Parts: sequence; structure tokens; C-alpha cells
Amino acid sequence: MKDFMMIFIGADYQELGLSPEQLQERMGKWFAWNEKMQKQGIVKSGDALMPQVKRVSGPNRTVTDAPLIEGKELIGGYYIVQAENAEAVVEIAKDYPDYDLDGTVEIREVMVFEQ
Amino acid sequence: MEHKVVDHLFRHHYGKMVAILTRFFGLSYIETIEDAVQDTFIKAASQWRTKIPDNPEGWLNRVAKNRTIDILRSIQAEKNRNLSITTGASSLQIDELFLDHEVADSQLRMIFVACHPSLHPSEQIAFALKTISGFSIKEIAAALLTKEETIAKRLLRARKTISDKNIQFQYPSPETVQERMARVMEVIYLTFNEGFHSTNKEKLIKEDLCGEAIRLCQLLLKKEQFRSGSLYALFALLCFHMSRLESKVSSDNQIVNLQHQDRTKWYFPLIKMGNSAMLKATEYENTSVYHFEAAIASEHLNAKTFKDTNWKNISYWYEQLYMFKPNMFTLLNHATVCLQLSDFEKTHQLLKRIDVAELGQRTYLYYGCYAEYYMKIGEKDLAISFLDKALAGTTNRLERDFLMGKKEGLI
Repeated sequence: MKDFMMIFIGADYQELGLSPEQLQERMGKWFAWNEKMQKQGIVKSGDALMPQVKRVSGPNRTVTDAPLIEGKELIGGYYIVQAENAEAVVEIAKDYPDYDLDGTVEIREVMVFEQ
Repeated sequence: MEHKVVDHLFRHHYGKMVAILTRFFGLSYIETIEDAVQDTFIKAASQWRTKIPDNPEGWLNRVAKNRTIDILRSIQAEKNRNLSITTGASSLQIDELFLDHEVADSQLRMIFVACHPSLHPSEQIAFALKTISGFSIKEIAAALLTKEETIAKRLLRARKTISDKNIQFQYPSPETVQERMARVMEVIYLTFNEGFHSTNKEKLIKEDLCGEAIRLCQLLLKKEQFRSGSLYALFALLCFHMSRLESKVSSDNQIVNLQHQDRTKWYFPLIKMGNSAMLKATEYENTSVYHFEAAIASEHLNAKTFKDTNWKNISYWYEQLYMFKPNMFTLLNHATVCLQLSDFEKTHQLLKRIDVAELGQRTYLYYGCYAEYYMKIGEKDLAISFLDKALAGTTNRLERDFLMGKKEGLI
């Protein structure tokens, strides 16, 4: 088994101006997905991220409060799950609830350093 | 999907929180408040993904309270006052506002703000749906079949009027309560009709609008001082209509008229609720348009089949209704009823009084009624020409099939 990170990009609820009703509906879908994965025992960790961004870049360590990032590029959260291979994670990611809001899931294998 | 959050919790709680916070800060901060409350739900939507709190409402209240204190701090900072906030005292005050009866109280105040006579009716509905019912601009636009821009403008105008006229977050004075209540009931009635008579393809949207109208009615009925025969009658009317919502739309989204509805689909618990509200209404002396409309709706619901309808009673109720609501639709409906009673002379009399121009989209019903009238008195040619006029006026498939069937029977 390997660890994979599912990174959720886009579908920023705040920017999309979802109504309370829609937010509740979304929440229910995420909850159901989380529960499904928990039952399979594949979740190692996961979090949702606040939309405020600070960026440090360049040799001068320039700090920007990056409102430059468009909502569709914003990382909204992640899960680390255990799976056989990337293909298996692709299957898991099919339940991600926000594709209809133009959200994207990026799947990356967590690197293991040889001892 | 199993989770223990009740349906519409966010939507309904939005209205509650906005009302409570407005009570605390005043209407001039309503935009800040709405943003803050919206924020709370975005947070909840992310945070509850993995674990839903044991007491979701309590969680939302707690977050709202914290937000209140945050807002208070930023407002005070903005005003550059040196008054330091004693969190203890203010949070005690805030706590009181979160008690159930105070929440209801705040929401009722908001209803009176939304239905303030200074606002235009279209603004009242938009403002009520946004602020009390937690609809987004997009949802309001979809519900009212209007552009989002238009709704945004209405909301802007409403907020501007509230601020220009310095409208207070208070109940109307005792001497104006009746007058103000009349407007409130009208807004509820209009909101319901927007849902009930909507040509909207989305069944859910219709249910939401109708449901909200009923909820506001229930909220008002909780307070002794707002109860009246009219309010109970309005509530009864909405329950009666709502019980038929399911049967009113066919599986392919066409409106099914009363004659063709599957009566087994009518929702009995709502009819029962309506009946007991009607009984309550009779305990008061006043009568209103809602009394008669509810009486008519109730007669229809009491009939096991379309044929069993007590048209005589209904005709009487329309007679009464016209005194309160002398419009073309009352006349047209009454004419249709007289036709059922085979009182052709009266049918004709009523039809002659109608100004077609005022019927709008429902003009085809008028032609249909005329056609039926001519059919019944044996004027075949006239009947056919009126059926053609009716057919030209509607795209509803079921209505067209019905009219075509009639026409074929005549040729």
C-alpha cells in the first residue's frame, strides 16, 4: 500500500456565492464521501483550507496576500489516502462532490524516502 | 446519504441569525451581518465534512455569537471609540437574544421590515426571500423567473429605502398592526403564488417558495398579537393549495388542472392542518378574501371526484369573494363554475363583464370557457372558433390535448 494525496483545486464556495441551502447540500455530499472512505479504512488524514493566501516568493522573500489567485486555482483542501496505486485513487476520487462546480482533483503519490 | 442535519437547517438558520444580529446591531449593518452569516455557513460546510457536531444548531449559534462579538469589535474600532467592550456584559445580552422566543421575535421584526409599506411589492418579496428565508440572489432569480441583475437591484433599492427612511427594527405600533399585517399577508400570499402558479420547470423551487410562505405564516401565528381570522384563513388556504402541489404537475412537467388531477396524490395531513386553521378562523369576526378563497379550495378538496364537486357552494363563495376581490379572474372562475351548474345565462353574463386585456397569460381559459358555453347552448360553429382562439393562446400540452379533444368532438 502506498500513500496518495488528493488535492482539491477550485470550486471556492465563497467566490461562487453558494446559498446556505446549497452549502448544506455540499456538506452532506462531502460527509457521505468521507464516511465511505472511513469505512474502507483508507483515510490517513485530510483537511479543508481557508481561502486566504499568503505567498512568499523570490530571493527577497517577497510576501504577497495573494488575491491574485483566481478561485478556480485555489487549493481548497486535501486528503491523504492509502491505496494500491494511482488508478485506485482515481476511482476513489470519482466521488469528489464538486466536479459540477468546476472543481478538480489532483492525485499525487507521497514520496517515501529510503532509510 | 446519512447525516443528522435536518433539511433546510442552513437556510432557515440563516434567516434566524441575520434577524438576531440585526436586532443587536440595527438595520444599518445588515450587509455586514449578512456577509458574516454567510461566512459562518461556508465554515460549517467545510468543517462538518468529517464530523457533524452533536448539536448542529448549537454549533451555529455559538459561531454566530462569536461573529457578533467580532463585528461589534470592528464596528467600534471603525467608529474609533475608546469604549472598551466588556465581553462579559455584551455576551450576556447576546445570549438572551439566542433564546427561542427571542429568535422568533427577531424574525417577526424582520418580516415587518421586509413588508414595510415604503418598499415596492417586488422588492418586499426579494428582500424577504433573501433576508428571512436565506435564498441567494441566484435562487431568488430562478424562483421568480427573473434576471439576477434585476433581483440584485431590487435588494439594493430595498436596503437604500430602509436606510433613507430610517426604518427601525421594530414591531408596528398597536394602532397600525392591522394595516401592516394586511401587507404582510399579501406578501406571503404573493410569494406562495409565485411558487404555486409558476411555470418554473424545477419542482423543488416551487416547493421551496410555497414552503417558505407557509413557514412565515406559522411564525406569525405563534404570536397572539398577530393572530386574526384572516391570518388563520390565509394559512388554511396555503395548506389546502400546498396539498395539491404534487398532483398539479405531471411527470413531464406540465401543469395539470383540477379536473385532471390524480386526487389520490393530494396530501392529507396538510388538508387536515388547513381544516383546523379554518375552524380557528371562524373564531374571529373579520372576514377576508382569504376566507373565501380557502372556502373554495376546501370545497374542491372535499370532492372525491371532479363530478362530486359542490358547485353550488362554490358559486356562492365566488359571489362573496367578488365583493372583496373584484377582478377579472374572480369573474372568469365564477363563470366556469356557473357552467358546471348549467346556469348558462349567468355564465354568459359573467363572461360579458370580463375585460380580456386584464387576463394576461390566462386569456386562453376565457376563450375555453366561452367555447364550452357555446357548446352547451348548441352553437357549434361559435364553439369551434373559440376553441381555436384558446388553442392559439396556450402551449401547455395537457391543456392543448384537452382543447383538441373538445374540438374533435364537435367536428
